[in-house]
Amino acid sequence: MRLLVLASAIWTILAMAFLHHKTKGFGKRTLFSKPAGSPRKGALYAFTRGMAPWAKESVMLNLPSYVAGMAFHAGVFSAFGLMCLALLGFELPFFLLVIAQVFTLLGAIGGLSLFVKRIVKAELRGLSCPDDFVSNLLSTAFALLAFLWTLVPSMESLWLAEGALLLIYAPIGKIRHCLFFFTTRYHLGAFFGRRGTFPPEGNSHA
Amino acid sequence: MSPIAFNGTAVEQNEEGFLVDPSVWNEELAVVLAKAEEGLDQLTDDHWSVIRFIRNHFNESGNAPMVRSMCKGTGVPLKRIYELFPSGPAKGACKLAGLPKPDGCV
Amino acid sequence: MPELDELESRLDALVEGDFQRGLEVFRSKLKEAEASYLNSCVHCGLCASSCHYHRADATLENVPAHKLDVIAAVFKRNFTAMGRVAPGLVGARTFDREMAKAWVDAVFGRCSLCGRCSINCTIGIAMPRIFRAARAALGAMGLTPSDLQATVDNSLQHGNNMAITQEDWVETVQWIEEELQMEVDDPEAKLPLDKKGAKILFTVNPREPKFFPLSLQASAKVFWAAKEDWTLSSDPGWDLTNYGLFNCKDDEAGAITQNLVDAMERLGCKTLVIGECGHGYGAARWEGPEWLQKSYPFEIKSILELMDDYLREGRIHVDPSKNTVPVTLHDPCNLVRHGGICEAQRRVLRKSVTTFTEMTPNRAENFCCGGGGGQLSMARYKNRRIQSGGVKAGQIKDTGAKIVVAPCHNCIDQLMELNKEYKLNVQIKTVAEMVADAIVTTA
Repeated sequence: MRLLVLASAIWTILAMAFLHHKTKGFGKRTLFSKPAGSPRKGALYAFTRGMAPWAKESVMLNLPSYVAGMAFHAGVFSAFGLMCLALLGFELPFFLLVIAQVFTLLGAIGGLSLFVKRIVKAELRGLSCPDDFVSNLLSTAFALLAFLWTLVPSMESLWLAEGALLLIYAPIGKIRHCLFFFTTRYHLGAFFGRRGTFPPEGNSHA
Repeated sequence: MSPIAFNGTAVEQNEEGFLVDPSVWNEELAVVLAKAEEGLDQLTDDHWSVIRFIRNHFNESGNAPMVRSMCKGTGVPLKRIYELFPSGPAKGACKLAGLPKPDGCV
Repeated sequence: MPELDELESRLDALVEGDFQRGLEVFRSKLKEAEASYLNSCVHCGLCASSCHYHRADATLENVPAHKLDVIAAVFKRNFTAMGRVAPGLVGARTFDREMAKAWVDAVFGRCSLCGRCSINCTIGIAMPRIFRAARAALGAMGLTPSDLQATVDNSLQHGNNMAITQEDWVETVQWIEEELQMEVDDPEAKLPLDKKGAKILFTVNPREPKFFPLSLQASAKVFWAAKEDWTLSSDPGWDLTNYGLFNCKDDEAGAITQNLVDAMERLGCKTLVIGECGHGYGAARWEGPEWLQKSYPFEIKSILELMDDYLREGRIHVDPSKNTVPVTLHDPCNLVRHGGICEAQRRVLRKSVTTFTEMTPNRAENFCCGGGGGQLSMARYKNRRIQSGGVKAGQIKDTGAKIVVAPCHNCIDQLMELNKEYKLNVQIKTVAEMVADAIVTTA
């Protein structure tokens, strides 16, 4: 089982590296207009203040989804952390284990709620393709199984197998955003930074 | 946009209310357009002199005149033209004169 | 509707080679940023409410992510391994008649390229960059809406987008000069034409000489008060517009930009000043050098920055008590969010009027007026344009202002229609018109 997880992880890393390489292959754009601001500062803003919930109207108008999404991500990352430790044979001190339990459980609930939202809301359903459901289910199940594993250690094989499946699927579907989130946000920040829009000067909701 | 009923026939307008076929225009149709498009119940002499000037210019050159020539050709001052046609010289006056929609930022 | 019938017949006429050409052009517009954008949407749907089309009409087709998805589906099918292996799983689609129609509807019919979704995207996808690539592809397939193309063709054939003759342009400039001399009671007040070596070449929107010359008169009055060394050009370099920004055919856009570069060279001016026009500023300031693939050998500025300089340096003086009607300010997308000119117009207005109320939201968060992205020229989408403009109309009403200042002639035309449609009962003016009204010469 450990070998399977390891092999899956290697596949994920290689596949992601390949995707990154392919995207890079599209080439950089040489720009001739004179910058008004700094792409670097723009990117920095995009990853910091620009990501704050109150900086984005779309978040403020959809707080429950945002909270569910954050919990989901925290849960999945915690589950991955747990998996690494389990594979290395480390045992978590009690209080960290409790934190991991809370995170993975909330993550699973968050993931499930987003899954239900995707089915129930007609507009979101219309926006979805099978990959959206597969990606969610694999991640939600991974967080849930991680939580259950902390209570029932005999579930380890099932959890790790599911983890391997998640790793194998990650580069295939939209979970590839674990890479492309960072490149995309960098490009957004650099674009608006260069144009002098990021970081903003005034308060746009005043 | 559904065609506008006029003298028992249906006159086709584009989505913005400009005539699809400018050649079907006549002065009675201008009155109907004035009501439907600009909410003008009555066309004054000033309205008519601007509309006729635009129409003549269009018949001769195939495009809308400059607002400069509208003022010069009719003696109607610029600010008065804006008052006469609430949607302005293009989407107001030119539309009532049966011209196609001008290109550009209008 | 004749325009839509025409689209159908053009779609019917498409052959395999057209789709191939479209794909090639699409691919050629993508660099690593765009490739990243096309790989990163997670379909969270939170962008929906950021779009004025969706605010006004909450349908799936108006969700920015859906518009992006229509494009990304074809990208996946043709340029990604998974899209070829398992198209059903990842939502990849073959580029056929149906998809071409969906592209046209998404990128021409439901988007003003305003970019409000970009900054509200959970991931950070700058969607208009993708939509522009798609518009270019559709253009190569002969699917650019004909009235949008006609506006570009005017510029290419006549040197300005309203096909104004040089004689008409020059005559109008002279007329406005006379009007200005009467207004300021100074026979030396000029609208210089072709003044070689002038510091500034000022450019305008053809809408001004054609139908709305008072804004040109206002700008000229500001230059007069600042004792600026400026000129207009009698050749095509007078027109700042460039609808090549909207049909996204870069060669045509570049040819139009070249008019400005040529005029700068011919007249030997130091600074190219773009009048109050959002897309004109975006095209000349940001995209022009990219279309021409070279940097400008001169400085380029918006007249808003210039007026801000004049006031700061004390070159002009204003008395706000001459503008007591409550004012609000519209932020044109291509000038503010995409252009980076955000505070200059605010500083100018605060000095020039007594009551200035911001819209909510504003600046880079502003809502598009609905007329951007070439929408104003595409008659077939007029109803959507007016409907989506309802968001802006609501913002205006909420301020209680009686004058809406819009530093963009494109926006002004849309706002005039919104004014009528939504019974806003406001006046719509440029920043220069406000400044011109407030100018005092005996300070």
